[in-house]
Amino acid sequence: MRRVLVFLWLAVLTASPGARAAAPSIISNLANPAIGVNGLFLCQGAPDLDQAYGMRPGEAEISVISTVDPYWTLTVYFVLDAQSALAEEAFATTTKIPGVTLKLGQLRASFGKHGLLHTHAFPFVQAPVISVNTLGEEGFKDAGAEAAWMTPLPWFCELTLGAYQALPADPDHALDFGAVSRGNMPGLAHLKNLVDVDDDTTLEVGGSAIEGLGSDGMHHAVWGADLTVRNVPLRQSNERGWTVQAEFLHKEAYGGGVYDQEAFGWYGSLQYRWAQTWWTGVRVQEAYRSFTDTLLDSTGTPEPGYTRGASANISYLPSEFSQIRLEYSALRATGVDGSRALDRRLMLQFSFIIGFHALHAY
Amino acid sequence: MIEKEDCMNILRRIIVGTVLSLIAAAASADLKVATSIEDLASVATFVGGAHVKAFSLCKGYQDPHFVPAKPSLMRLIRDADVFVSVGLGLDEGWLPLVLPGSRNPRIQPGAPGFVDASEGVAVIDKPVGTVSRAEGDVHPLGNPHYYMDPANLIVVASHLARVFAELDPANATVYERNAKAFAAKMQAQSKAWEATLAPYHGASIVTFHRNFEYFLARFGLKRFGTVEPRPGIPPAPRYLAELAASMKREGVRVVVYQPYFDANASRGLASRAGGAAVEAPTEVGGVPEAGDVFAKFQVDVDRIAVALQAGAAR
Ligand SMILES: [Zn+2]
Repeated sequence: MRRVLVFLWLAVLTASPGARAAAPSIISNLANPAIGVNGLFLCQGAPDLDQAYGMRPGEAEISVISTVDPYWTLTVYFVLDAQSALAEEAFATTTKIPGVTLKLGQLRASFGKHGLLHTHAFPFVQAPVISVNTLGEEGFKDAGAEAAWMTPLPWFCELTLGAYQALPADPDHALDFGAVSRGNMPGLAHLKNLVDVDDDTTLEVGGSAIEGLGSDGMHHAVWGADLTVRNVPLRQSNERGWTVQAEFLHKEAYGGGVYDQEAFGWYGSLQYRWAQTWWTGVRVQEAYRSFTDTLLDSTGTPEPGYTRGASANISYLPSEFSQIRLEYSALRATGVDGSRALDRRLMLQFSFIIGFHALHAY
Repeated sequence: MIEKEDCMNILRRIIVGTVLSLIAAAASADLKVATSIEDLASVATFVGGAHVKAFSLCKGYQDPHFVPAKPSLMRLIRDADVFVSVGLGLDEGWLPLVLPGSRNPRIQPGAPGFVDASEGVAVIDKPVGTVSRAEGDVHPLGNPHYYMDPANLIVVASHLARVFAELDPANATVYERNAKAFAAKMQAQSKAWEATLAPYHGASIVTFHRNFEYFLARFGLKRFGTVEPRPGIPPAPRYLAELAASMKREGVRVVVYQPYFDANASRGLASRAGGAAVEAPTEVGGVPEAGDVFAKFQVDVDRIAVALQAGAAR
């Protein structure tokens, strides 16, 4: 593994300026795949956390993508930080089937909106509390297969069905799909609709559900609904724009006549771009029965509770390839026993891209 | 109360209507052609005539460097027969998402329905030595705005005629004839445009981006500088002040910009240099008068000639 990574780093260092140069109109390199690296660094001052102010450990994401043959494209994302290096995603896609994109390998499930984002594409430094408590900080990632069918309806209407490997809950998997029975195949359904309201504005409405059998014998499921209105004025597509987004997530467990409503909550955000180089954003959120970094019970162990909070940020993008973001966020949590906790943070985040610029979905 | 017979009649009418409209849709054009930019759709329309329905995903007044990869674009090309890309990296910011997202195997790179329109075009501005983003968001494969030279569109037209003929052999002769007629008209028009600009041979202008290079080379004009200091990097006030001063010194009085670039920066620069800023479209549809490729060049030639004449008179 380490040797592979060293090789990749060398490949990036020697090949990054040429990686873009060698790519014709569409991703394709014969000798080398297109390689991109994103570096993310964070400075934080958090008076409510037991941490020194200053630089936090950063992370680098390496994306490697290439056409395999006329049938397949392979994409791999490595994430490197101070403690670990892992292939976070490694999947093959094909567009040989009319109307359908087939994706298989280690992948990020097509659930909702925020759960699809890589860390460096987060519109706010931290993921919403409810996202962390339902799917996981960076969405649901697992080995599996997904088929996304674009229906022939007059607008963009996509139905995705997925099936994944059964895995128990761990720090990277908020969902317990760990039953060892043969019949346990966690599955996903996702419906995404997008319509052009006018030349500049789109309206997106989506619904997602994921379900599987846990190691406790219970069914575990998350369902979500999302609404996004996005405006990119075509005459100023590189200068102006705004996005209003809201997402609701709900996690539950059931089986044997028992129903347990676990975490649920929502966030709503506005991002606004007023110049080629400036973005700003605000987000409000609420989460019930959810864990946070600061809410602890009398014995000092994390306990679930009700949280609500708000974040505001301003981002400066001197070019397409770098970004500096200043963000303030405040979160207030109340535990079941009435305990209270605050989590206030002032953050300064730096993001850099070299090599192939992995493209972001609209 | 609706009788069973009425129900059957309504159903029959719906079925017959659907079938008829499907037949009509199929018969209206033999090839559905989607393109990255309006200029390529315009050339495809001239070459395809009645047998082709061509449309562009990027609107003419929209910056072709930054096209939002909307899923609705994927839906538009779901059943296209041909996709024509500008190539040379101009559409690499969105096409790698939109093309596979269309889930249409017929227009993926490598398939007969995918066309890189830059093939066969003599590319200028190919970077020599090391390419680095310290120079801004450079076009590493050379300048992709080749559709600003009428001669290059003749190359594109014959390329499209070959592709259309392969996909629709029944109309091959029509496509070939149309491409020839297009070439003849473009050559004749080019002579007229050259004559209009001949009095200003060797004159210098300032453009917002390096998207007029092919046009300037064709019509014997020179680029003095660009409003953006480096590709994709917005100008700082000091840079504009220095550029205005050197324009004044050298007697350069014309600044050319596109509808999607900062008009105020261009106008401010021109007025400080004692000249005028001209909105001259690089893409068809950039201004309402530029309805097709011929009209676009006509608008550009006329507006630049007027501005150069006014500048010389000052
Ligand atoms: Zn350009």
